[in-house]
Amino acid sequence: MSKFNFPFIKETNELSNLRKEVREFITTCINNNEFTPSPDAWVFSADPSFSKKLGSKGWLGMSFPKEYGGHQRTALERYVVTEELLSSGAPVAAHWIADRQSGSQILRYGNEKQKSSIIPRITAGECFFAIGMSEPDSGSDLASVKTKATKTENGWKLEGRKIWSTGAHLAHYMIVLARTSPASEKNRHEGLSQFLVDLSLPNVKITGIADMTGQRHFNETLFDNVELSDDTLLGEEGKGWKQVVGELALERSGPERFLSHFTLLDSFINEFRNSLIHSGTKLVGKLISEIQTLRRMSFSVASMLQYGESPETQAAFVKELGNKFEKMMIETLREFSNIVPLHEWPNQLQNLFEDATLRIPSNSLRGGTTEIMKGIIARQLGLR
Amino acid sequence: MIEELEIILETTSKILQKHVNHNLRQNIVYENNDILNLWNEIEKNGLPKISVKEKFGGYEIPFFSILPLIKIVNNHGTPLPLSETILSNYVLSESDINPPNGIVTFATDTKNLQIENNMISGDILSIPYLNLTKNLLIINEMNNAKQAILIDEINGEIIHKKNFLAEPRYDIKVANLNIAEIKPLNNKIDFKFLGAVLRSAQMIGAMEKVLDLSINYCSERQQFGRALSKFQAIQHQISDMAVELSASSAALSAITDLNLGDNNFNDIAISKIRAGAAAGKIIAISHQVHGAIGFTKEYELSYFTKNLNSWRNDFGNESFWEEFLGKIFLEKNNKNLWEYLA
Repeated sequence: MSKFNFPFIKETNELSNLRKEVREFITTCINNNEFTPSPDAWVFSADPSFSKKLGSKGWLGMSFPKEYGGHQRTALERYVVTEELLSSGAPVAAHWIADRQSGSQILRYGNEKQKSSIIPRITAGECFFAIGMSEPDSGSDLASVKTKATKTENGWKLEGRKIWSTGAHLAHYMIVLARTSPASEKNRHEGLSQFLVDLSLPNVKITGIADMTGQRHFNETLFDNVELSDDTLLGEEGKGWKQVVGELALERSGPERFLSHFTLLDSFINEFRNSLIHSGTKLVGKLISEIQTLRRMSFSVASMLQYGESPETQAAFVKELGNKFEKMMIETLREFSNIVPLHEWPNQLQNLFEDATLRIPSNSLRGGTTEIMKGIIARQLGLR
Repeated sequence: MIEELEIILETTSKILQKHVNHNLRQNIVYENNDILNLWNEIEKNGLPKISVKEKFGGYEIPFFSILPLIKIVNNHGTPLPLSETILSNYVLSESDINPPNGIVTFATDTKNLQIENNMISGDILSIPYLNLTKNLLIINEMNNAKQAILIDEINGEIIHKKNFLAEPRYDIKVANLNIAEIKPLNNKIDFKFLGAVLRSAQMIGAMEKVLDLSINYCSERQQFGRALSKFQAIQHQISDMAVELSASSAALSAITDLNLGDNNFNDIAISKIRAGAAAGKIIAISHQVHGAIGFTKEYELSYFTKNLNSWRNDFGNESFWEEFLGKIFLEKNNKNLWEYLA
């Protein structure tokens, strides 16, 4: 049973102090109108100048080594900072992917030049990343990617399309999963490699895709025979699958999997506190118990990452439960509209609610679908 | 102390593996020698007094630290009130009463209770395993003060025997029964909280077993030419069980670090809510994937699901604790939600 353990990690005084510091910073930003809290901000709300400000506070690339401009702090410290940013709906989308997964991926697998040229810029909040996994014909079945990198005299030639890459239009780089040799009949996971692709290179074409809310954060990225130098290969040729699985553990376990719409819940409670005291204590208690459980699990995974473990399965647990919680939360708020009808809610709250309702179907798709999470868990249980 | 506990956990697993089987669960009566032998083995190893003060002959390991033991005991489906005895003895010892030897069970619900001249009369309700022991701890409230009452020769008229549970439970009417000892309940103890913790840990132990049973059954059972576990519909249901279980374990693990008197009410409430909600889902799914065999008395799944059904209702169900949590937050402070949570 040990594989399901999420050991309890206590928040130390140092962590609580850091939390306080971040919270004060955010309050000041909001008071100075530097940003308006928004829902799903880690996907939708990009503000490069805010990212830069976080960089100067030392809150990006927190766990990266000092020699690359990092701060050599712990994954738990990073966790606390991200929780505060997410719960306040701060505009973190610009740097989110770089700080969450790409930087760590480069530090783990990159060569010296890749590390020294890119990591300091991520840490400063000046270098943004997009994810290069999904393709028009490869969604959940990631190993079926067709994007191809062919060896040339001076490096590689990249050909193919990546899709649903959030923020690619703002990003400087994309870590692209591509086929470098045909899949063997027995193992489709062989022959894949990761590339660190500069999105300003010739023959890279980025086209925006409006999502169902009408906003544009998604992109399709076309690599039309892009010439890549030799040192763009990230990690080992042919080991891309193993690398990408590790990257997904970083992607799935964080508090963004259950705090994406926390600003909605916060405003809702502040607005209706008095009505809730009379008719919503149970509803609020249920939400509190679920959030606290998720925070413990996610914090526990952060500690596993800190100790160099590979919590891919635990990350799937957090994502699956977090996605369910967010859907449940919106349903719960919807039920409350029996007591105070929706049209009587303040405009700003109505907007947040409608926004969340519109966006919620994406939460169990992005970063791996519910079905994929359940599949990962089932495999761990020995069922597959 | 951690080493000491680990040795105890290992020893307990060995004892339970040797003695507990589904046959034993069919005949939970005092006259069953196998039940008696198992209890003697448990007692010989000091388990009932694991959280009792040293001066009363216990190991004095704090109750919140021995929750892993409670999980193991219930993971094995032990048809004896060891969990109840451990909690009762702990509460007695903390209230400065020397716990008796043997099984000790507890009661918190009473009707028309009267205490006069060190004698007690009235109805005492919903007592687990009363058929196996004469020792009973009653938590009573009189004039706004809580008391721990120990009876060591319980005797009276059984007025109701609950049948839908796997474990026996009784309501009893007593008249002028001698009280062995009565003391003010240690004021750091709220029995409802401790009971909720106990039931949460028991549920998690049982849910681990139910998950294992489901995995094993679905891996062996062949239908349509392949094992049930090869069907994606089954895989996804079982993975839902694992997610629910892991959330409950995570919620409980916050408690094992606590000390009596810590301001830990929220953690306890969360643990009971999470385990109770998980139990509801796990009961339903485990029976669904087992098909008809799981619905038989002969197969052991139902022993665990019946107990889960009762434990999720004991000491406050999910709604009770959700109200409790919501009220504390909404009424007792003006913080916004995030400041309150983190």
